[in-house]
Amino acid sequence: MSDALIRRSLEPTIFRVLTLAFSVFIVAYILIPILVTLVMSFNDATQIRFPIKVWSLKWYGDFFASPQWTEALFNSFTIAIGTALIATTSGVLAAWAFERYDFPLKSLLYVLIMMPLFMPGVVLGLGVAIAFGGVEIAGVDLYGSRGLVMIAHSLWAMPLVFMLMEATFRTIDNRVVEAAQDLGAPPVRTFFEVVIPMVSTGIISSVLFAFVISLNEFVMALFLTDRDTQTLPVLMWLSLRSAGTPRLAVASVILACTVFLCLTLIMLWYIRQLRKVAR
Amino acid sequence: MTTPALHLDRVRRVYGPVVAVDDVSLSVAKGEFVTLLGPSGSGKTSTLRLVGGFDQLDGGSIAINGERIDHLPAYQRDTATIFQSGALFPHKTVAENVAFGLRMRKVGTSEIADRVRQYLDIVRLGGFADRYPAQLSGGQKQRVALARSLAVRPAILLFDEPLSALDLSLRLQLRAEIKSLHDQLKFSAIYVTHDQGEAMAMSSRVAVMRNGAIEQIDTPTRIFHDPASEFVYTFIGESCCLRVNNAAQSLDLTLETPLLGEARLYVRPSRLRLGPDAASLPNRLKARVKFVEFLGDTNRYHLQAGDADLFADHAGEMSLAPGATVDLGWLTADMRVFR
Repeated sequence: MSDALIRRSLEPTIFRVLTLAFSVFIVAYILIPILVTLVMSFNDATQIRFPIKVWSLKWYGDFFASPQWTEALFNSFTIAIGTALIATTSGVLAAWAFERYDFPLKSLLYVLIMMPLFMPGVVLGLGVAIAFGGVEIAGVDLYGSRGLVMIAHSLWAMPLVFMLMEATFRTIDNRVVEAAQDLGAPPVRTFFEVVIPMVSTGIISSVLFAFVISLNEFVMALFLTDRDTQTLPVLMWLSLRSAGTPRLAVASVILACTVFLCLTLIMLWYIRQLRKVAR
Repeated sequence: MTTPALHLDRVRRVYGPVVAVDDVSLSVAKGEFVTLLGPSGSGKTSTLRLVGGFDQLDGGSIAINGERIDHLPAYQRDTATIFQSGALFPHKTVAENVAFGLRMRKVGTSEIADRVRQYLDIVRLGGFADRYPAQLSGGQKQRVALARSLAVRPAILLFDEPLSALDLSLRLQLRAEIKSLHDQLKFSAIYVTHDQGEAMAMSSRVAVMRNGAIEQIDTPTRIFHDPASEFVYTFIGESCCLRVNNAAQSLDLTLETPLLGEARLYVRPSRLRLGPDAASLPNRLKARVKFVEFLGDTNRYHLQAGDADLFADHAGEMSLAPGATVDLGWLTADMRVFR
C-alpha cells in the first residue's frame, strides 16, 4: 500500500475521532454543572464537598422544613407567574399591533420595546429601585413589593415574547383572518376565536419563557426585594456568603427541574398541535 | 325594475401610480351569477376585495340590496367570500367552521345545528362534520368553504378563484357542482376567474376585464360570438391571427371580400377546414405543415403561412407530413377582422 493511500484512509478516521471528542466535550461542558449540583443535593454532609460519603435526602427535608426557604420559593413562583401574565399579555398584544396596523414612529417604538432586553440587569434594577424608591400606592410601599419585581422582570420578558410572537404572527394565513371578518366576526372576536388558537404554541412558549426568565433572574431581584419578598436565587446568594450547605444544591435542583418541566411542556404542546393541524 | 343584489357605481381603486380598478360599474340582479374574467392584473380580484370590504374605495359607491355599504367594515357586510385557498379555520372542525358565521350572526343554537347539517349535506360532506381541515383533500376543503359561505345566506357570494388551486378533473367536477347548486339555491354571486372555460360554463353574464376596466359585459354566448374588441376575442378562446397588408402581400390568400389596408384577421382553429374540405369555401389560404399534435379526438396541425404561425384542428385521417403544403378554408361568418 502506498503512503498516499494510507493517508487517505487515515484522514477520515482522525477526523471522525476528533468530531466525537469535541461532541463529548460540548455535551459534558453543558451537563457537568447541572449534574454536579444534582449529585451534591443528595449529600449527607454539612458542606458542599467531594467525595460523598453518605447519600441521603436529608437536605431536601431540611429545605422544605425551613420557612425562610419555602417562602423564598413561594416568592419566586409568585413573581414568575405574575411576570408571565404581564409579559405575555403586553407582548402578544404589541406584536399583533405591529403585525396588523401601521402607525407613526413604528420603527422607533420597535427599538424602544427591544431595548430593555439588551440593558444590563444592574442598570434596570437600579433604575427601577431609584424611580420607585419611596413611592406608595394606597398606603403600600411599592419598593420591595412583589409587584414591582414582576414589572421589572417583564422589562426583559416582554421583548422576548414580542420577538417570538411577531415571528409567529407572520406565519398565519391572512386569508383565514379575512374569512373570519367576512363571516361577521369583529376584530376582537376574530383575534380571540381564530388568531389565538392558530398561534397557541407561540403563546404557551411565551408564557413559559417569561416564567423561566423571571425564575432565573437574580440581579434585579436583589435590588428590588426585601427580607419578606426575596426570591430563591437572592436567598441562595445571601446564604452562600455565610455557609455553603447542600441546601443550596437542593434549591438549584428545584430551579433546574422547574425549567426542564417548562421546556417539556412546550415540546408536548408543540407535538400535540402538529398532530392536530398537520395530520 | 327590482333593486339589484349588488350595484357598483364607478368604483375606483388606485395604488400609487397604478389604477387597479378604473371606474367599474356593474349590477348583479338577484339570483344572477356574474363572472369577472380577465388576465392577472386586470383588476378583477381588486374589485372583489372592494365588495368584500377588505380594501377601501378611492371613488364611487357600492350598494347591496339598494343600501350603500362602502363605509362598512367587512364584518358588517352581508357578503361571504370563498377564497382560493379555502381559508378554513384550522383549529375548528368542519361543523364548527360552517357554524362560525351563523354564531356571529347570533342564530339560535338548534337552528345552527340544523343549518350546519343541511349545508354539509348540500355539499355532500354529511359524514365529515367532526374532521379537521388538515384531514380533508383540496376539493373537500373547498366544498366546506362553500358550505360555510352558503350557510349564512348572504346577499351576495363572492368567489375569489376558488378552483384555481385544484387539479383539472377536480376543477371540472366542482365547477359543475357549483353550477347545479346555483340552479338549485338561486344565490347571487360574483365569480372571479382567469379561466374562460369556467366563466363560459357557469355564468349568467361574463364581464371581461382589462387594465382595471370592464371591456365587455354580456351573456357567455354573446361574448363568444360577438366580442366587442380584439382583446375579448383573443382572451375568450383560441384563435389564429393573420396580419394582412394589401400593399405587400406575401400570402397566398383568397378572401370573399378583399380587405383594404392593414388588418388583423382572426379565425378559431376549430372553424378552419383543411385539405379537400377547404376547396369549396369562400376564404382560402395556402400554408405549410410544421408538425402535427395528436389530441385524441382530433389532430392539431401547426402551420405556417408567410410569417404567421397558425394551427387548425381536424378530426379525420389525413396524411400530411411536415413540410407539405395544405389548403385552409373558412366561412366569412367565422372570421373576425380588427384594424
